[in-house]
Amino acid sequence: MTAYLVAILTSAGFYVVLALALNLQWGLTGMLNFGLAGFYALGAYASAITTETAGLPFVAGFAMAVAVGAVAGLAVAGLSARLVGDFLAIATLGFAEIVRFLALNEDWLTRGPRGFPIATRPIPEGLSREATAWAYLGLVAALVIVAYLIVERIRTAPMGRVLRAIREDELVPAALGKDVFRFKLQAFALGAALAAAAGSLYAHWVQSISPDHFTTALAIGVWMSLIVGGAGNNRGVLVGATLVMVILEGSRFLTGVVPGLDAESLSALRIALIGVLIVVTVRFRPEGLLPEPRIRLETPAKGA
Amino acid sequence: MPSLKTPRLTRRHALVLGAGALASPWVARPGFAQTDAIRIGSLTPNTGGGSPFGPEIAEAHRLVVDLVNSQGGVNGREIILSQENSETNPEVAVRAARKLIDADRVMAILGTWSSSVTLGVMPLCQEANVIQMCTSSSESIPAGDKKGLLFDFQALNPAWGKAIARLALARGFDQIAVMGINNDFTTSMIGTFQQSLEAGGGKVVNEPFLYNPNQPSYRAEVERLIAGNPPAVFIPSYVTDFTAVYREIYRSGYAGQVITISLSTGPKFKEAVGDAANGILHGFPVPPVGKDAFDAYLRFVGLEPSGQVQRPFGSAGYDQINTLLLGIAKAGSLDPFEVVKGVFAIANDPGERVTTYAEGVAKLAAGAEINYDGASSSVEFLPNGMLASRDFELYEIRDGKDVSLERITSES
Repeated sequence: MTAYLVAILTSAGFYVVLALALNLQWGLTGMLNFGLAGFYALGAYASAITTETAGLPFVAGFAMAVAVGAVAGLAVAGLSARLVGDFLAIATLGFAEIVRFLALNEDWLTRGPRGFPIATRPIPEGLSREATAWAYLGLVAALVIVAYLIVERIRTAPMGRVLRAIREDELVPAALGKDVFRFKLQAFALGAALAAAAGSLYAHWVQSISPDHFTTALAIGVWMSLIVGGAGNNRGVLVGATLVMVILEGSRFLTGVVPGLDAESLSALRIALIGVLIVVTVRFRPEGLLPEPRIRLETPAKGA
Repeated sequence: MPSLKTPRLTRRHALVLGAGALASPWVARPGFAQTDAIRIGSLTPNTGGGSPFGPEIAEAHRLVVDLVNSQGGVNGREIILSQENSETNPEVAVRAARKLIDADRVMAILGTWSSSVTLGVMPLCQEANVIQMCTSSSESIPAGDKKGLLFDFQALNPAWGKAIARLALARGFDQIAVMGINNDFTTSMIGTFQQSLEAGGGKVVNEPFLYNPNQPSYRAEVERLIAGNPPAVFIPSYVTDFTAVYREIYRSGYAGQVITISLSTGPKFKEAVGDAANGILHGFPVPPVGKDAFDAYLRFVGLEPSGQVQRPFGSAGYDQINTLLLGIAKAGSLDPFEVVKGVFAIANDPGERVTTYAEGVAKLAAGAEINYDGASSSVEFLPNGMLASRDFELYEIRDGKDVSLERITSES
């Protein structure tokens, strides 16, 4: 059971990093990114190709994933950052589809639909199964911490104020002399790089990837984490991603407890449960479980 | 400002909620405590692309386990079957397999259907020494099974390509254009189809190509396929795509022969296109219709043998659980490598023919060697765990019904 919980925490870790990346792009900056799965896939494949095809160590694969993710983020944002709202969302969705079709059709590079087996592991060989699971959890936890510190630092720094201002109304920071386009590029590329970094670790954790691993359903799970947890609040993102994973996984244990519930009806129920959670959240708690902290403005005392 | 109606959810509440949710797996855990039970996992595609077949595989696993438990289990041990839905998605399947392996502590995972799921959970199973039994036909499967823990109850792609080429040639079609859905299943099938057709004096006309699933329209693909008006076209695909592709072919007025695999022409397809389906040729690895073991399986799951193919994958699920349980009985231990040896011993020659667990275990107790003969095939394995041969059958759709034309046994 411990090994299972370790594995699920590891899975949740990937969700958390993706949700943090999305929080930077959407929660703080207001850039709708429906193509998160595309950046995640890009990181996974970049890392797999570097380590398996080129035979380099994991560190090189990870670095390559981050670099490719950042460059792709710059490109997508550069081409489409002047689009706003829904239009950006559609452009990013298109990007995710492009990545999926590239992975599906460029067999020479990605091994296409037959899947990419990955033998390189970031941890020493010869550890026991249990130790391996813990070591992966450690790595993913480290990535979560690094991602959290980066995004939280940006949020509290002057840059975070500019990003929030862009989210609320682009014209205001522009009028104050801020280079809105450059800030949007930075936020988007950094988020994309974080998603790609998560993709790299994920690929070496599951050891076999195929285009089917990176569907829009995954991105929707991450979106749910953000909406339920509280967009704009990094701690809320942690809570939301954990909660979504608990529903996805914890509900498995309802079979045998609730009579008449088999694996088939349960997987339908699982999705329904998350749908209900979203509806309830949006109705009664639109700001999420942990809302974005309000910024208190210092106002001069009366009569001063 | 929150209004009075808004429930206040503080950070503390959120924390309690989260902790409670995290603890729920433990609280909700079923109360089995037998340490000597045999724990088996079943991971079937109950929803998604495999949904027409997943439930029948899951049902076969469950019914056999219930029956054997009611007869006293295997070597006096109770069998605990944990069933999960793979959703025909490897990302979901990996998490479900983690649960089966680490929480339920299963010794085997049965019933994976699509190759991407079987290959996706394979690294986990290899690492944890868990036996896999699947019905996937990717050629990459034997290579990934480094520890020799996998049994495949389906013919691999090349066997499909070979069989359908032979059947097409026998009907006089030697000029065939080919396009297939882009997945692992069809890519290697197309390769061997072409080889076998050419070896038999036929020829693939036009360049074979792949199309991407879930397109709003297949007009461009279909026009490319029927360019030059070839006498026949072969389209390996899934039912959802094939319906749209076939509509396009019908509208184009193409008068040649359409050949596909039977996965694409199930009841849903016939319902969708109506009379237009008549005349299509399709082939498929089939359970041996009319064989006693297949009929016995159908009656076991509450169906009447009708002379038609029913439950093509459920019959394989039935064979999976029977061979595994007999393998355990033969091995007399739960060590996965011993059980694998046991499965080879009870499935392959030599031995007395048996078709059910009860029959097999009685003969084993009497000290006899047995050879399990299944509902989906004769269940003989090559040393790499792949099926040695399966029956293929070619059908024509006449008046909305599949009419059998010819049957061959194709070696892997």
